[in-house]
Amino acid sequence: MTNDPDPSRDATAIPGPSPVDAAVLAAAEAVQAQDDIDDGLYESGLPGPLGLLDKGIARLEAFALAFGVLAMAFNTTSNVVGRFVFGQSLYFSEEINQALIVLITFAGISYAARHGRHIRMSAITDALPFRERKAMMVITSGVTAVLLLALSWYALTYVMTQAGRGRVLPALRIPQWWILVWVPAGLFLTGLQYALTALKNLTDPEIWLSTATRDGYDLPHKDKAP
Amino acid sequence: MTAAILGTMIVLLLLGFPMMVPLIIGSMVGFVGLFGGLGQLETLVQQVIAGIQPASLIAVPMFIFAAEIMTRGQSAARLIDLVMAFLGHIKGGLAISTAGACTMFGAVSGSTQATVVAVGGPLRPRLLKAGYSDKFTLALIINASDIAFLIPPSIGMIIYGVVSGTSISELFLAGIGPGLLILLLFSIYSYIYAVRHNVPTEPAATWPERFRAMRRAIWPLGFPVIIIGGIYGGIFSPTEAAAACVLYAIVLEMIVFREVSPRQLYATAKSTGLITAVVFILVGAGAAFSYVISFAQIPQAILGGIGIDGMGPYGVLFTISIAFFIGCMFVDPIVVILILVPIFAPVVQATGLDPVLVGTIVTLQVAIGSATPPFGCDIFTAIAVFRRPYWEVIRGTPPFIAILLSVSVALIYFPQIALFLRDISISR
Amino acid sequence: DTWRYAFEEALDEVQGVYAQKFKEEVEANSDHEVQLFPFGTLGESDNIMEQAQSGILQFVNQSPGFTGALIPEAQVFFVPYLLPEDQDQLVSFFRNSETITSIFPELYAEQGLELLKMYPEGEVMLTTKTPVESPADLSDVKVRVMTNPLLVESYRAFGATPTPLPWGETYGGLQTGIIDGQENPAFFIESTRMYEVTDHITRLGHNNFTTALMANQEFFEGLDEADQQVIQAAADAAFDHIIDYQQGLTETALEAIMEAKPAMTVTTLTEEQRAPFRETAGDVEATFLEIGGPRAQEVLDQMKADLEAAAAS
Ligand code: NA
Ligand code: NA
Repeated sequence: MTNDPDPSRDATAIPGPSPVDAAVLAAAEAVQAQDDIDDGLYESGLPGPLGLLDKGIARLEAFALAFGVLAMAFNTTSNVVGRFVFGQSLYFSEEINQALIVLITFAGISYAARHGRHIRMSAITDALPFRERKAMMVITSGVTAVLLLALSWYALTYVMTQAGRGRVLPALRIPQWWILVWVPAGLFLTGLQYALTALKNLTDPEIWLSTATRDGYDLPHKDKAP
Repeated sequence: MTAAILGTMIVLLLLGFPMMVPLIIGSMVGFVGLFGGLGQLETLVQQVIAGIQPASLIAVPMFIFAAEIMTRGQSAARLIDLVMAFLGHIKGGLAISTAGACTMFGAVSGSTQATVVAVGGPLRPRLLKAGYSDKFTLALIINASDIAFLIPPSIGMIIYGVVSGTSISELFLAGIGPGLLILLLFSIYSYIYAVRHNVPTEPAATWPERFRAMRRAIWPLGFPVIIIGGIYGGIFSPTEAAAACVLYAIVLEMIVFREVSPRQLYATAKSTGLITAVVFILVGAGAAFSYVISFAQIPQAILGGIGIDGMGPYGVLFTISIAFFIGCMFVDPIVVILILVPIFAPVVQATGLDPVLVGTIVTLQVAIGSATPPFGCDIFTAIAVFRRPYWEVIRGTPPFIAILLSVSVALIYFPQIALFLRDISISR
Repeated sequence: DTWRYAFEEALDEVQGVYAQKFKEEVEANSDHEVQLFPFGTLGESDNIMEQAQSGILQFVNQSPGFTGALIPEAQVFFVPYLLPEDQDQLVSFFRNSETITSIFPELYAEQGLELLKMYPEGEVMLTTKTPVESPADLSDVKVRVMTNPLLVESYRAFGATPTPLPWGETYGGLQTGIIDGQENPAFFIESTRMYEVTDHITRLGHNNFTTALMANQEFFEGLDEADQQVIQAAADAAFDHIIDYQQGLTETALEAIMEAKPAMTVTTLTEEQRAPFRETAGDVEATFLEIGGPRAQEVLDQMKADLEAAAAS
């Protein structure tokens, strides 16, 4: 871990007790401060106009995440101000937060899949030789894709069932399925990203965690194909 | 059947699948087994969605957001500088401060995950810089966050109180003793660690330096004031306190310190959303999995098999401890409480155990379990927030878990650790 | 067969007692088995309802207040001073009401549910930090309510500040003073320790918490007549059981509260004291007609006719 090629993680400036700790430290601070994803640099895994559409969706997901979080903070504090200052609760506040958390989670899982941010236990695969590691990446991405695409189908039928039943949110009195449409969409897009990742690993000489991210952000010595 | 499903899940996890996959496959296999086909998978989706909707979970993204703004700006650094000006020259001072910060934060937060984020985010770089290994640092953060579950308010104790019909205020009093005991033991371990690994101490700060640090920290010291004053002053709930912190952090960093631009605020909100999604999909998938467990009435079957009725009080307490500990390794703590508490209730009553003691033990166990592999929720929060590999996050936990488990055993043999505060205030 | 039955409360609370009696009756009179799933084990109230609709659960107990998100007419049970305060009239109402025996079964059937029984859980009482005898005493008092427009409207009409708060935050909210009161039946105030964080219980007589047992309709209609009889008989037997059980329940719960906290006060408002609260019911009825779905007017009118009948019996 001593030869991290990423200049933003340059460890030389930090006086630490050992170089290993210094590299980790730099990464820790990078995670804290400079590790923003630049959506302008994002490359889709799809070719041509489909790729453009996919980039557009990626932008939308990013916006949904930021909007969802800011709106949640605004909604929750407004309720406090309403209750404490004006003696008037926003009685639909809780339902808005529920809607936002569904939006954030299901827009976010697709965005996370694009950027290889889903949590996985890589201890064993990290120890494998290059070819086996690549094969495992194809298998895990492929199986994950199939699973999520299947689940997105059941999510779609669930949302349609809920729409058919006519359940409303008690306070807002809007159809409940309106806040659930992100669920099948998010699962589908996430599944698609994993399918593209499997494809990318089959067609490209390197190992890819997602279409836009090479495997091993924490394993610099494995970054390049041998 | 159960063993086969759990085995499959662990294998999938070890093979490097995204962590939601083993949870979803485990639930799917369970659904197919229970309902003889794929016909009821809509309910699996329902459970994933229901799993992320409890109102108390809103505190998690809000505390992540506040902590990210504070770290990107100046607040976090100034607060830590203040602590270091007073404790930096002590061996293990920063590590002890971290455990102390988790305890303080616990007095305002009911959730261990929010504590991991809010305390661990800003303190981890400082601990690394001070010379602690990452392995120690991560383990300290995720395990010290357990203290937040024991120091009131505690979501776990509220749920336990409601389900078992036990006094919640007595439970709250009973959590303080074990919480402080854990803080003490973690501090001792931190001291020993710092001595053994020769972690350098900073030279003692002079009093003018300390005053300067205090002056610089005046604005950021508004955070604890807002949280503690706001909650105990009856202005907002713990969840709303998290949102109030966001607002204060925005005002401070964007207007007072002029450290964070609107563009950076947007980027911070986006990365908060990303971390939230990555953690919450696992919370949701975990909820679907626990549905399978409780629908199949697996806990009842296991307990029937081990013959709990013939055990004495110590046997029952140990069985309860082990059951909750194991349960939380796989499933969300709240769900474990909802499922297991009613199952044990008749035995607890028949054995004549103090329900407040049992509640404290249960709360401690679910807190420990939430930091324990393979699926403890604090672990995946830490992975998402700190972006370290799974193994790295859990590698340093054994000494901490050993300390926590010895506190559990001590609690069984010396219940006064938990009960003395309640007994004092009741005889008043 | 094994039939699954989920409900919204713990095993030793009213819905749990009803469920256990139902199970006992079914198992005694048939070779079927009933598995009980108390509060939270299969999800929240809405979740178990959906599971009953999709046939995973054969039986579900959900309070009409929650069912209001699905069947807006069911919110009628939130209209204050509609149900009789007298226990005998109340029982007669639940046994004979046209609304319960004919209108609601049709409404539930549209959602794929066979309504088996509606039954009362107990008089709803207000617990607060300051004593309440008139609407003026409720001025600026923040009362926690479930997220429902009718409950919000009720407490607004009573003069209070209705404050929707998740149930999980209610205890803490009363402790720290975000809210000043909440309402529930006595047994629930006792079992959830709400008395620890409030000082006064007021019996406004404005409502009785109603709940309902239903079955998945496809399942129910697929049974032979003998099994349907067994289920109906069990629901009836559990109803009788719960009425007996309730006779002493409110008193027992209040005694337990007084024993745990002798400083607690319990005030039953007189008819004169209730009058100004009763007068506000019209506002809430208007809100109900607005949001209570297409058959709201019919349900409300029939309810009132049934209540007159119950009073005359
Ligand atoms: Na706490
Ligand atoms: Na923890």
